[in-house]
Amino acid sequence: MRSARRARLQGAGFDLALPYLLLAPSVLIVLAILIYPLWDGLRASTQFWRYGKPLNDIGLDNYIALWSDPQFINSLWVTVRFVGLSVAIETVLGLALALFCLREFRGIRLLRTVLIVPMVITPVVVAIVFRLIYASDAGMLTAFSETLGGTPVQILGEPLRAFLALVALDVWEWTPLMFLILLAGLQSLPSEPFEAARVDGAGPWRTFVDHTLPMLKPVLAIAIVLRAIDAFGTFDQVFVLTRGGPGEATRLISIYGYDTAFKFQQTGFAAAMFVTMGLIMLALALAAVRLLRRAGPT
Amino acid sequence: MNDFRSLRRPMGRRTVLQGGASLALATAFAGSSRIAEAAGGKVIIGAFADGGLTPFKEKIIPLAKTQGFDIQFLEDEYGVTLEKWYADAKNAAGQYDLYLLDDPWVPQFGAADLLEDLGAGGIDAGDSDWIKSLIDMGWWPPQTGPRVAGFESAKPKLICVPFVGDLQTLTYRNDVYTKGAPATWDELLEMGKAGVAAGKIKYPIVFRGVSGNPIVTSWYPIFLSYGGEFFDDKWKVAFNSAAGKAAADFFVGPLKQNAPPGVVEFDSDQEGAAILGGDAGAIIQYSGNALKADDPAQSKVVGKLDFGVVPKKEKAIAQIGIFIAGVPKSAPNKANAIAFLKWYCGAATQAKLAEAGSIPVKRTAFQVPKPGNRLIPVALKQLDSGALPRPRTPDWAKVEELLGIELNKALQAGSGGGAALDVAAQKVTEYLTQMGYYK
Amino acid sequence: MTANLAAVTAFRRRAMATSLARFAVTSLLLLVVLLPIYWMVAASFKSNPEITQDATLYPHAPSFDNYRHLFSEREFGAFLTNSLGVTAASVFLALVAGSLGAYAIARFRLPFRLERMVGLSLLTLRIVPPVVILIPVYLLMLSLNLLNTWLGLILTYTALNITFCVWMMESFFREIPVDLEEAAMVDGDSRLTAFRRITLPLAAPGLAATAIFAVIVTFNEFLFALVLTATPAAMTMPRGTATLIGRIDTDWASMSAAGVVGALPIVIFALLVQRHLVRGLTMGAVK
Repeated sequence: MRSARRARLQGAGFDLALPYLLLAPSVLIVLAILIYPLWDGLRASTQFWRYGKPLNDIGLDNYIALWSDPQFINSLWVTVRFVGLSVAIETVLGLALALFCLREFRGIRLLRTVLIVPMVITPVVVAIVFRLIYASDAGMLTAFSETLGGTPVQILGEPLRAFLALVALDVWEWTPLMFLILLAGLQSLPSEPFEAARVDGAGPWRTFVDHTLPMLKPVLAIAIVLRAIDAFGTFDQVFVLTRGGPGEATRLISIYGYDTAFKFQQTGFAAAMFVTMGLIMLALALAAVRLLRRAGPT
Repeated sequence: MNDFRSLRRPMGRRTVLQGGASLALATAFAGSSRIAEAAGGKVIIGAFADGGLTPFKEKIIPLAKTQGFDIQFLEDEYGVTLEKWYADAKNAAGQYDLYLLDDPWVPQFGAADLLEDLGAGGIDAGDSDWIKSLIDMGWWPPQTGPRVAGFESAKPKLICVPFVGDLQTLTYRNDVYTKGAPATWDELLEMGKAGVAAGKIKYPIVFRGVSGNPIVTSWYPIFLSYGGEFFDDKWKVAFNSAAGKAAADFFVGPLKQNAPPGVVEFDSDQEGAAILGGDAGAIIQYSGNALKADDPAQSKVVGKLDFGVVPKKEKAIAQIGIFIAGVPKSAPNKANAIAFLKWYCGAATQAKLAEAGSIPVKRTAFQVPKPGNRLIPVALKQLDSGALPRPRTPDWAKVEELLGIELNKALQAGSGGGAALDVAAQKVTEYLTQMGYYK
Repeated sequence: MTANLAAVTAFRRRAMATSLARFAVTSLLLLVVLLPIYWMVAASFKSNPEITQDATLYPHAPSFDNYRHLFSEREFGAFLTNSLGVTAASVFLALVAGSLGAYAIARFRLPFRLERMVGLSLLTLRIVPPVVILIPVYLLMLSLNLLNTWLGLILTYTALNITFCVWMMESFFREIPVDLEEAAMVDGDSRLTAFRRITLPLAAPGLAATAIFAVIVTFNEFLFALVLTATPAAMTMPRGTATLIGRIDTDWASMSAAGVVGALPIVIFALLVQRHLVRGLTMGAVK
């Protein structure tokens, strides 16, 4: 009698504990590997590090110094320009591609398969691909130019061209992702509004602006936000392509942070830089979510 | 090639644990095993990819093998090695026994106290056969010259020994500069332009313009030849003196105009291609690319390239940049590493190194009858005539970066060298103040 | 009659023009994507002088030398093994832990909506670029003496993967009606058995999509590998490829071959699992 009651209580206890048990592995690993180091990093950001050791606590001095460091401001600005330009182009091209592929035609399967490749290739390798294109001595552009009787093509040495070259790399690599998301979005739209519009005699452009775009807004917004957030953290490709150069033309904030931490050994300062970067990202993401909610599907 | 594949099996999780346990046991018996291994044994060397180490790789490592040293040579890309090795030493990870450092890194490792005292380990720094300017770079704090704050009264320890000598020398086309190496900058440009007119070359000079270490290294010999001084002995910035500015203006003006148009982008590869491909008349470079001059597979102008001392304005001073070897305190085979260094720095091995074609670090080795490269006697000449290392401070990387950015901007514009120095001076002063240099 | 014929001809002409335009655009797109890749593959079969000095448009004397060099002298076999092992382990662990956690969030209501907080925190960690925690994780591994080990990488990648595995699996679980599980439980199954017998099989496509996404992200990971590994004992493929990107004496031939070797496994994998891949990538956006 008593054992049966106990068994039931134990069963009930287990059921109560179950969700916690299920969550435990994830939470524990994340706490240990992500949260704890984050806390450690926060602490490091309030210290002055020299020769690999924290020397003294300086509170928020690192954070304040950050905003008067011209190289930090510059890298922030370069990153913003990079993200803005890349994501804009990727969205427009991705949308165009999605509209193009909306209806089946010959070769669409091949196209879709091939389009997957740029976004799954290791980013480091993508950078290698593009270095082989841009290099002024060994690159594809130079090879084409010289075959046609011209001179070597200089891209990575000139700041503006190097920056645009980086944007081109990002567009090549990630437009397919935007394409896939927007295509899925377009395909999930109900067809009635479009039928109605066609019956009403609306032309393709009108239909697009009045019906497609508004209904696509939530998907567009999410795609843009996700891509922008990822783009902010771009590191691998820049590291291999230009290492931040020439000068500071492609020195994204991730590269500058890496150099500050590992090349100049300013561990505390770099920690503050990364925390700031994370806060900026969070703020942007929250703002984006707020915007999304307000916009909403019409 | 050495078959170390079996030695470098990837580690699975269980292997890590097992390995950790056996390592613990092994460490317990470290004393006895160290004595047994002292005559040879495994040495893990970390190096960055550079042509200057090719003779060592190809000729000396096999030689070391015959001496019983089992060398594991781990090569990585230059831009990554400083961080990796510093992390390895600080973490006491014990992945390397020996680092082949770029000499400006010595202060960083020294200040963090990560390297073994090689003098105490038995390496004789007082040996008069050492090239003085080279062995001087192995001490921390440096025996002469200004000392970084916090190390004013510390007793210098020998934490590194020169490994492969390297310094800038002039490589020039002997069909353009027919009377031997151009003695002055003006001569270099004048005769160079004549060479261009005669269709023998396209540009009198080529150098590296990429921001950071490359451009500062290119500018350094010009700066030194104009009589410039980087820091005074209180670490106050002195490179934006009149001499320095004149050097900078010359660099971004006349020198750039006589160099290939893409020089702003150039790094070692492109400047090497320019001289070896026959387009450039002269270049100041380290031995890495110079060693390719006589190789028909890499050079299109074999026989037309000669070496000389760098041109002068007031003096003819080149920059020294050597491979310098240090042993981390966490080296797993420390005794082997030190034994290896002792053997390697011996006059006999150095002579072999010279015969293999690398610049040695002991004077007698320079005088071998058959040096492996024509560069070696010229290198001795340059060392004796004037060669200086970069300032011995752990913050050199950042200072070089700040200066490199401004110089690169001025180089792109083709003017404003002096103004760039002023801007850089201000930034460097700010940075050094932050780091507590001026009390 | 004539009017109809004219209309049909006009229609046919427009249709032809459309398919011609379609063909042109498709070809252009294929060219833009494939030409850069071709160039790298071609370079991997050339020798260095051919690349830098001759600048040929296709390899004149193709050879596998570069590839041989990678595997016999450059430890790429080790890099590949490390990558495969670390990726498999961390994706598996992340899926297991992440699915269990996602199930908890999807099905249970905890006091203070704890499960929602956990979900949101994990999502936040997903949003913040990993570079933000780069140094702290490095310091952690440093103190645990796990630098340059498989274990260190696996722990790091598992943690990173859990953040989005939970998020993705949560929505897949929510799609499965609770009634099915409850029916099973009424029949005598415990919660966990119902999960195993009913929910998991139904969520299999979602699991697949999540796994594929995780495999790609983990295999391609560079930043943490760069900082946390140093020797072929633990260096992954992307990290290993980076040893060849030097600007001094750039070994273009080896670099190209390394690029091909580095990209091939993941491209083959992605092409094989296309459908699930597309589903996984787009599911986050289209809800």
